[in-house]
Amino acid sequence: MEPTVVDAATSLKETQLADWLRERYSVLIGYSGGVDSTYLAVLAREVLGRDNVFAVLGRSASVPAAQSESARAIAIERDIALRVVETSELSDERYAANPVNRCYFCKSTLWQTLVPLARELGVETILDGTNADDVFEYRPGARAGSEHDIQSPLALVGLTKSEIRVLSRARGLATWSQPSAPCLASRIPYGTAVTSERLGQVERAEQALRDLGISGNLRVRHHGDLARIELEPAVLDQWLDDSNARRLAAVVRAAGFARVAIDLRGFRSGSLNVLEGVVAA
Amino acid sequence: MTRLEPHLRDTGLECRVEVRDRLAILIPGKGGDEGHLSAEQRRLILQVAKSEGFTHVAVELDPVGAALSGG
Repeated sequence: MEPTVVDAATSLKETQLADWLRERYSVLIGYSGGVDSTYLAVLAREVLGRDNVFAVLGRSASVPAAQSESARAIAIERDIALRVVETSELSDERYAANPVNRCYFCKSTLWQTLVPLARELGVETILDGTNADDVFEYRPGARAGSEHDIQSPLALVGLTKSEIRVLSRARGLATWSQPSAPCLASRIPYGTAVTSERLGQVERAEQALRDLGISGNLRVRHHGDLARIELEPAVLDQWLDDSNARRLAAVVRAAGFARVAIDLRGFRSGSLNVLEGVVAA
Repeated sequence: MTRLEPHLRDTGLECRVEVRDRLAILIPGKGGDEGHLSAEQRRLILQVAKSEGFTHVAVELDPVGAALSGG
């Protein structure tokens, strides 16, 4: 179970983070509206003030529209200056070919867009929401960040995902319990081209499942004609029930898949990395 | 036919298995008894599939309007 109280060690890390931010006059944040970048943007806004914090949301077919809208709503609620930029990673053939280091090309596109924007705004420091747990995961996009001198202060002070959730909750941020939301391309197996059509199928299917009332972690993995649904193990019984299973199948078929299957182990972060042997099972 | 099919049959589960690399897709047959896989059945299936080298197992939902029949 996730802790709900900010302990002394976590509080100290937040103080260190605030001090680190204070030493920067202004920052631009690669913002997604997820748990990490939202917490970072809100704290930066508190420490540096509205005029010195710019949250920049990259919008493309690989980001669900609902996520972009949620990110925008949070920025308005917290009085954070938000910029929305269109990113064009799909037009990069190296990204669209979907190699195992696809994230590198996506992040390169993002930072190549944000670096000149920061310069234009007179901001020297660009931040991302990488946390201390991320450092140990397979994340080829991190190299793009290093190449563009992107700073990751959450990881720098050692804040883990669960600590960021606790701190977010203490600040009244609704994101504290939000599931992780990697881009939609993560649902497409490596080597299968990332296209707007496939991303659209996944986005519609996942939204349809949310509309059925499924909360928590949820993924629709794209296997060509077949959608493989991953749900939290705790709800598998409920959705494998015959009538519910038919409802699942119907809405996912309507999203553009001919066949629908449900994974018997349930949700696994980086599931396709395991399936394709990129990381150990 | 993959070896997974007879292994699953030994556990009381009748289904076809479609193999996509390390993903096994279990396809229920027509006319199966109504009902769904219990947590214990799922655990057993995953265990058997893992021993055959599969990292992922999924059951197709409502492929021809039939349910998966478990033992």
